[in-house]
Amino acid sequence: MDQFVNTLFNGVSLSSIILLTSLGLAITFGLMRVINMAHGEFVMIGAYTTYVVQEIFNKYLPESMRDIYYFAAIPAAFFVTFLLGSLLEKLVIRRLYGREIDSLLATWGISLILQQAARSIFGTQGVNVNAPSFLNGGITIGGCTFSYNRLFIILMVALCLFLVWLIMYKSNFGKQMRAVMQNRTMAQCMGINSRKVDNITFAIGSGLAGIAGCSVALLGSIDSTVGQSYIVNSFMAVVLGGVGKLLGTVIGSTIIGSASIFTENYTSSTIAKAIVLLIVIIFLQKRPQGLFVIKSRNLDE
Amino acid sequence: MKNSKLKRFLAVMSAAAIAATMTTACGKKEESEDTVKVGLLHSLTGSMAISEKSVRDAEVLAIEEINAAGGVNGKQIEYVEEDGASEPSTFATKAEKLVDSEGVSAIFGCWTSSSRKAVKPIVEEYDALLFYPVQYEGMESSSNIVYTGAAPNQQIVPAIDYLIEQGYKKFFLLGSDYVFPRTANMIINAQVSNAGLEVVGEEYADMEQTDFAAIIAKIEAAKPDVIINTLNGTGNVSFFKQMSEKNYTSKEYMTMSFSIAEEEVATIGSDILQGHLVSWNYYQTTDTEKNTEFVKAYKDKFGESRVTSDPAEAAYDAVYLWKAACEKADSFEVDDVIAAIESGDISFDAPEGTVKLNGENHHLVKPVRIGEVGSDGLINEIYSTDPVEPDPYLSTYDWAVKAGIQPLE
Amino acid sequence: MKFIKKQGGNICFALIVIVLALMPLFLNAGLLSGSSTVLFLGKCIAFAIVAIGLDLIWGYTGILSLGHGLYFALGGYAMAMYLKLQETGGNITDFMHIGGLTELPLMWKPFQYFPVTLIMIILVPSLVAYIIGYFIFKNRVKGVYFSIISQALTWAAYSIFIALSTYTNGNVGITEIKTVFGSIKGSAHRTEMFKLFYVALFILVLIYALAKFLVNRKFGKLLIAIRDGENRTYFSGYQVSRYKTFIYVLSAAIAGIAGAIFVNFNGSITPSQMTISYSITMVIWVAVGGRGTIIGAVIGAFLINLCEYNLSSGSMVEIWQYIIGAVFCITIIFFKGGIVGIVKEQLPALFHKLKGKKSSAETVKEAQ
Repeated sequence: MDQFVNTLFNGVSLSSIILLTSLGLAITFGLMRVINMAHGEFVMIGAYTTYVVQEIFNKYLPESMRDIYYFAAIPAAFFVTFLLGSLLEKLVIRRLYGREIDSLLATWGISLILQQAARSIFGTQGVNVNAPSFLNGGITIGGCTFSYNRLFIILMVALCLFLVWLIMYKSNFGKQMRAVMQNRTMAQCMGINSRKVDNITFAIGSGLAGIAGCSVALLGSIDSTVGQSYIVNSFMAVVLGGVGKLLGTVIGSTIIGSASIFTENYTSSTIAKAIVLLIVIIFLQKRPQGLFVIKSRNLDE
Repeated sequence: MKNSKLKRFLAVMSAAAIAATMTTACGKKEESEDTVKVGLLHSLTGSMAISEKSVRDAEVLAIEEINAAGGVNGKQIEYVEEDGASEPSTFATKAEKLVDSEGVSAIFGCWTSSSRKAVKPIVEEYDALLFYPVQYEGMESSSNIVYTGAAPNQQIVPAIDYLIEQGYKKFFLLGSDYVFPRTANMIINAQVSNAGLEVVGEEYADMEQTDFAAIIAKIEAAKPDVIINTLNGTGNVSFFKQMSEKNYTSKEYMTMSFSIAEEEVATIGSDILQGHLVSWNYYQTTDTEKNTEFVKAYKDKFGESRVTSDPAEAAYDAVYLWKAACEKADSFEVDDVIAAIESGDISFDAPEGTVKLNGENHHLVKPVRIGEVGSDGLINEIYSTDPVEPDPYLSTYDWAVKAGIQPLE
Repeated sequence: MKFIKKQGGNICFALIVIVLALMPLFLNAGLLSGSSTVLFLGKCIAFAIVAIGLDLIWGYTGILSLGHGLYFALGGYAMAMYLKLQETGGNITDFMHIGGLTELPLMWKPFQYFPVTLIMIILVPSLVAYIIGYFIFKNRVKGVYFSIISQALTWAAYSIFIALSTYTNGNVGITEIKTVFGSIKGSAHRTEMFKLFYVALFILVLIYALAKFLVNRKFGKLLIAIRDGENRTYFSGYQVSRYKTFIYVLSAAIAGIAGAIFVNFNGSITPSQMTISYSITMVIWVAVGGRGTIIGAVIGAFLINLCEYNLSSGSMVEIWQYIIGAVFCITIIFFKGGIVGIVKEQLPALFHKLKGKKSSAETVKEAQ
């Protein structure tokens, strides 16, 4: 029983991390049809921002106050990546709407540049983010330990998901956003500034990657290649869930995360990774559009 | 009419451009009177840059020191630096470029075993010299490579001996999925079962693994006394951070790590690693006069926040050992230098203590030091041995011979 | 003049081949700094071949595969297994011994024989590509979905190769091998090296001719039709998925051949040749050279690799990463046709514009 609960919790926790890294992708890829290969690098920037905020707090604040750095780091990471995302959209993505494959390649070039920039600025060695002390440890119920860290990340995902849902489906801007994504010309005719909507949408997607970077920083190493280790799983989660649906991404991440943990119980992690990916690929043969499909009469979708 | 002429012109131009790039590739070998060229070949980009940068820095430091002190055989050292891009075939290409086109007298480089294995046939076939500065899995001894890091019997075997002596009974082997952990664990398996003790689990993490929850669950289920950790750089960070979020410290699960040096302690955090064991030949805290100078010079050059580590020290030694060999041979010719190395008289007063080159297998005679991570992020020596003769094939260990872990003839 | 206009690509290719063919002579004349340059160009030939294959499916058919490293590596491994067995004399290798094997595993056995190996170099990548392509294209997975799936597939294959280290030697790969002509390194083995180099060059010419042959007939037009309007091609009564599968398999086979050549020059093959980033690097060659033109792929492969060879060292390492990233980005955004496109379209247009301005300025002057 304990072991089962443990596995379940680990599965949920891994799923939540995948979901956090793919939430931004679900927006940029799912809604805007832009494949942002630099998404992983935005995660990296988020993680580095957390580090920088921590260093600033360590320098200027007394020891007892330092733990609150993390609360400052989350919005900081969001805004840094938000602004960078907005900039990237203006400079690059804007010219690539409708050219999905080209957007993939161009952003790969961006990701090379961003990785090297991280190396130039922070050095090649990794940096360390200390988890704030209130996140150390966990609650033990029965034989299972639920670490505060993971619980916090799950909470953060839930919050992000809620906010995204709020923005997308309950706000005025969300209405405009969906209108532009569904029928650009019509939306423009209705007086929506589609360029502005594009820009903000992409920036929000990037900002979510920044938040993901913030939580990833608690769990592992922060270096110039950190984004690469998350990107493939995130793309698979979005594709598996079905492009353009938030719920799809949630379920896609859950499937990949839980399947990874579950398979890893029985085999080595290298094999587990291969098995999960292959299963997802085989599944996509059955439903090439993913689990949740937006019905469309458009032939080329 | 004009237009097509233009197109022809452009076609020719593009071809000429390619030809021109090629010729730049083929600059003539420059022989200089008062300098000698060496090559530095490390990953400056890609996933291995995290580790290799410090090794490269130590080599540059040694070269600059030697140059300031008058050079080698009266010649200043000039270094050519190439990027291996964390990719073995790039290492091979660049090594070939260094030994053949640049005509370097020696290469200092590589970190991963895969890059060394890719470079090995090249230095052998071109009869060049490679100084490899990292501890590794052994089972190799090339006459064109000098191994300045520890062989398994100078790091792994004594560490396990130490653990057995301390009364640890159940071992869990955790490593990244590549050749060093796999070979190391094969050795440890033989050694532990020879002592009549038990390996309760063996797990390999993916090189890019970021989530260790499943592996930690397996460790919890196996209830080991000690975890023998051979994870690589980034894996270590994730593993230890995720152990600590479950409140596990060195009291619950002691670990003995073979790839965690001062650099890694800094990225993982000393609060997490405090009390855990590591095994190396050198620590920043190693108490020798030479080391005080080395640490000071390193920090002066690269910044107060940088730390020295065993691989960096081994790389620093490598340059000095090459210098000593060249001076003994009174030549920079590879054959002469190798002959000098094989005389067995080459030694260097290194930060870790005097190291001597074993002329037979090209490894160093080194003392082994077991260390414990302290709260200040440094590693304190808690046990050390006299200098150990290198034995890359473990052929002097009965249990290893019996287990048949020597490579094929 | 019309001939040159029409045959510009072929002329350019002929020039490249001639320059390459002269390289060994340059070496013997002492114009090159060493045989390593020739060996490196040999690797570039392999890269050019895989780029041609990639161009066929991406440039012509519009399928972006981010997993061609897999096929490249499969061909490479097939060749390397044969060469390794030549080294060991058909016995098991060190890594099998460490993995606890006492006998040569079944999957290695066919590679004891050279003719079988040659078949396997083409067969294994083709078969894998056929299985993948058949299902993916039949189910009409297309566009970016295909790219992402091919990327995941490559990742999965990479993991499998590492996990099966007893058979594949994990991420060290198969090392310490010579070539089909024996040792080629060092000045004592120049004849063998030249032989290998000319064989590689000959294969490049063959593959180029094959690609040109295909794209210049109706088949090539059909590929372009699929790229520009897949559904319309369906409606015209063509079985698009079959054509796609065929061209995908062909391009995988070409990648396999390239991998086999690469192994000979490189002396080792590792799973890092089948990583995602390596696969995308291949796409960069095609994109920069010019997609949709066979010559573009060749130019791109040579140019990028030569630049990388010369520039990614010393103090240039950092800058090189920025350059390659920026060049790639700018090419994709502004110069869809790559270098070939610039030469063929943008430059003439620029000249025209300049000329136009000049003449209009002159008329203004005259009017004054």
